[in-house]
Amino acid sequence: MSERLYKIQLPIFLTALFGILMILEHFFQMPSVVAGFNVTMRSFVTIVSAAALMLGIIFLTIAHVRTISEKKSEWYYSIFYIVSLLITAGLGMVGVRNESFLWIYNNMTSPIGAALYSLTAFYITSAAYRVFRARNWSASILLVCGFIVLMMLIPIGAIIFPPVVPIGEWLRSFPSSAGFRGMIMGTSLGVMGLGVRVFTGRQKEHLGIREERAGGE
Amino acid sequence: MSILITGRTLGLSILIVITIAILYYMQQSFSGKMPKLRRLQAVDAIEEILGRCVEMGAPAWYLMDTVDMTTPSVLAPTVATFQILSYTARMAARLGAKFFVPVTQGLAYSIANDIVEEAYKAEGNPEGFDPFGTVMYLPAGADRMYIINHMWSEQIAGAFFLGSWYHTAVIFTENAARVVALMLGGTDTTHNIPFLVAICDYSLIGEELYALGAFVSEDPTQTASLAGQDMGKYIALILILLGSILATVGFDISGIFAW
Repeated sequence: MSERLYKIQLPIFLTALFGILMILEHFFQMPSVVAGFNVTMRSFVTIVSAAALMLGIIFLTIAHVRTISEKKSEWYYSIFYIVSLLITAGLGMVGVRNESFLWIYNNMTSPIGAALYSLTAFYITSAAYRVFRARNWSASILLVCGFIVLMMLIPIGAIIFPPVVPIGEWLRSFPSSAGFRGMIMGTSLGVMGLGVRVFTGRQKEHLGIREERAGGE
Repeated sequence: MSILITGRTLGLSILIVITIAILYYMQQSFSGKMPKLRRLQAVDAIEEILGRCVEMGAPAWYLMDTVDMTTPSVLAPTVATFQILSYTARMAARLGAKFFVPVTQGLAYSIANDIVEEAYKAEGNPEGFDPFGTVMYLPAGADRMYIINHMWSEQIAGAFFLGSWYHTAVIFTENAARVVALMLGGTDTTHNIPFLVAICDYSLIGEELYALGAFVSEDPTQTASLAGQDMGKYIALILILLGSILATVGFDISGIFAW
């Protein structure tokens, strides 16, 4: 078997085959054999994804071990990573319903995640300051619309200036919705184009392949 | 019993028409007939960003946020982003820019690692690729603090924010803006497009994310396929006008969606 066949042609063929099967399943009543096959394929994705996760963890751990051995800056955080990994992975292997594992998840992982998520509020504020500046006409329109919608959403806005509510609702229901729908249509067309390029084997960079092309080859 | 699932005939018909249009333009490109297409500003922005990083001796980061390839809505932008990654990594290898790609999902990490490694090899600069440092797996959640901290400590000079972006779009772009990095942002998640457009120096809106991949591929067939997508826009425009007129005169068109 030539290298090109199994490294390029076979993955492209399999991508097209499984992709088209999934599309057909969306539009047509498929025999139970095909429907069952598609379900199996989807579970394969989860299994492959889990295997790839292991690879990622191994490489990350190697990178941290290297950081410690070379005493790079802030190397002590790498020790913290390795200790956390060993404890969490060890308890997880005992059982994901294990009380200690759940304690780590509920009292450490989950609140840390929520705290990090809450950072968004502060960054949105500073991003809004950066964005809402009347530098030109377009930015001024954005500023006015943003201010109206903001006033509509805060309780005191309707008290200070009642017409802000219908104007804000109109902005959200018509110009904003129309813009978003246009974007969604454009994106859907982009996905269709991507699908055709991938299924016909023209786009294969996601397989780690980038062939030099000459003209319209 | 009907072979077609009820209510999906219209969608299937439109899919077939647009696919034929895309294939037609791809076929035309083989005979050298290229449609006229607007050049995306982002194509030149990639070189500008990497060039700035080389001049300043600071790294360029390529961030993709959500790359969960088991989620259909995330898969398409992720695949599109991989194509741009391939081009960007090759240019980084060619120019000698320090390049860093943090990835938060195992499967995407393996693919991104392969893409970047191949890019460095293709440019004759395999030693520029660090298997443990150029592409790094960062578990989702933990990635935020790492990225914010290192953006400041390394004083990045350029950053790419491409793919399926959610709330971290604001966090990361805002930090990159504070370290005065030159940024290219692009996503198809509608609620985060405004942030990327407003904060980044160059931006890709919605489908431009998919178009950029085809543009930078240097493959005329892929570029030509974009003209086929435009046929879909014309069809949408005609259907919107037709639907508006029929609805205005009181004609009920909801029945066609039930076929």
